[in-house]
Amino acid sequence: MNMIRSKSKNELRQTIVTEAVAVTALGSNLEDLWYKLMQKETAIKPIKRFPVDREHYRSRIAAIIDDLRPSQGRSLLIDLLDRLMDQMGPVPADAILVAATLKSGIDNLESECRGKPTGFQDIRLASLADNLGARLGLKGNGTCISASCASSAIALARGAALIESGQAEAVLVCCADIVSEYAFSGFSSLKALAPDPCRPFDRNRQGLSLGEGAAALLLMSNTRAEHEGRARLGTVCGWGITNDANHITAPVRGGAGLARAVNKALTSARKKPDEIAAVCAHGTGTVYNDRMELDAFKQVFHKRRLPVFSVKGAIGHTLGAAGGIETALGLKVLATNTAPPTIGFVNPEDGAQGLVSADQQAIAGDFLLTTNSGFGGINAALVLGR
Amino acid sequence: MKADITGIGWITAAGVGRGRNHHGFALPAGRLPDYTPEKFFTEPYPNLRRMDAYSRLGVTAIALTLEDAGLDTWTEKRDIGMVVATVYGCLGADVDFYNTVIPNHGAQARPAVFSYTSANSFLGEAAIRFGLTGTNYAVAEQHPTGLAGLLAALGHLAAGDDQKIIGGVCDVGCPEIFGWPDKFPPGAVFFMLEPVGTNPRPSFGTLHSTSPGQLLFDGSPLDDLAVLVDQCLSNQAS
Repeated sequence: MNMIRSKSKNELRQTIVTEAVAVTALGSNLEDLWYKLMQKETAIKPIKRFPVDREHYRSRIAAIIDDLRPSQGRSLLIDLLDRLMDQMGPVPADAILVAATLKSGIDNLESECRGKPTGFQDIRLASLADNLGARLGLKGNGTCISASCASSAIALARGAALIESGQAEAVLVCCADIVSEYAFSGFSSLKALAPDPCRPFDRNRQGLSLGEGAAALLLMSNTRAEHEGRARLGTVCGWGITNDANHITAPVRGGAGLARAVNKALTSARKKPDEIAAVCAHGTGTVYNDRMELDAFKQVFHKRRLPVFSVKGAIGHTLGAAGGIETALGLKVLATNTAPPTIGFVNPEDGAQGLVSADQQAIAGDFLLTTNSGFGGINAALVLGR
Repeated sequence: MKADITGIGWITAAGVGRGRNHHGFALPAGRLPDYTPEKFFTEPYPNLRRMDAYSRLGVTAIALTLEDAGLDTWTEKRDIGMVVATVYGCLGADVDFYNTVIPNHGAQARPAVFSYTSANSFLGEAAIRFGLTGTNYAVAEQHPTGLAGLLAALGHLAAGDDQKIIGGVCDVGCPEIFGWPDKFPPGAVFFMLEPVGTNPRPSFGTLHSTSPGQLLFDGSPLDDLAVLVDQCLSNQAS
């Protein structure tokens, strides 16, 4: 097996990221987000979008884009996509669209369940691809990947695979998810929400904080990018996707599943662990996720202390959009040789000392690892390069 | 990229079957049969009762596929992936869950239902049941052909992401609340894909892809999932 991976790296086409844009509650664009992240700001604050003033909610906070508005019965997702696509440069008409979301226009499903018809167009899973395909005039049959909180990381892996295999010259990966009463109630029922802003990798972490956002990354083959004179923001060098095969909502203790995903990604990228300069972790702030990640990183990197960070204390957990937003930020990390501070991190969890920091950290090296995990036991890891 | 199809399993409105033990295949519109999922599992499987209809359908069809490929028994977890194409995914579970949120502003929200509100949740259940640790996710197409799961699965196999991989479709129809006509027949159909010549069981044929969105079966272009099953069964009979 390994028909493609058995070839020498020179034979493979490179996947270049030529454009990356993002919208989050902390910044209306990637530059704004990066600046505020480095200033140690957080967008997590009291929720006004839906009622949370009930005793049974342990949390009343999330990272919400205040002025996101529905129009003419459409989902909030449409306004979010408007803001995202306003920043996006030209997308080639032959680009293959790979969208990613966990819940698509879930606010419209809420309305339907409450007896307020909104139409089905923003509710079905493929609606994100429908909207973007029509908006951008893309020719192909776009797809939308859904794999819990690893959705967009997997979409990026799929996009890179299409380019490396020669099946595509350009792929647009776009991801989005919103904060909804639906998701808030769900994670609350699982007792996964923190009463205070989440504290990734902190000994006293109490759960996650939800967030919303979107990102779009244009991937191209190296030859196409050069031919079109596109910017080179970085590369997607490798990926690994695994399942814990252990529990439907909780990660496997010890992190074996994530460790395998990371090792697969390193093999795919033909990199050794010591070539990784830093890790953009999933870092949700739940007791089990963060413990599992630290255990997984220890299996891969052993005693090596490399910068590990999570951005979820700043922008919340953006669910299916997390991997895309974190990849866009990861490229900034590589471009600036700086890992951002982990907001909310005060007292290190065992094993986080010397890895995670409340301050920005300098990095040395050319490759960054990003990781995401989620419901269904899914794990995804990407290796990004300069 | 090429792969052998070494197992097929399905539950459609026309019946339940698998490639090496069937009474014909069809993927018609209409209601799914009243099948008893428990009878397709040799060991007790209490989780089945907790699952939504979409998950039960998917897990059962995957069980049939693994059995058909001779891969239903295991002692150690295996690097086998799963990619499912779906139109409606877990919308039924979404509606069920949100209807537990409405009555008392979330106080009665049921975590057991929420667990199945990701389109890939049932793949996690299948992974646990059968020790499958490979790539797995759900994919929805703008214009449903039912082939996106197979195409993606083939891509992952060719890239060396997984040693074997299952690709197919799973849908239980659109929840009535949306009043949206079903655009794709209900049912689940899965195929086991393996590198050519690696499974001792006879292959149903070879799947091949040369460009995005284009599948070839035994060298001929393919644009219909039901036709693929028919051709596989025809190959097996001859």
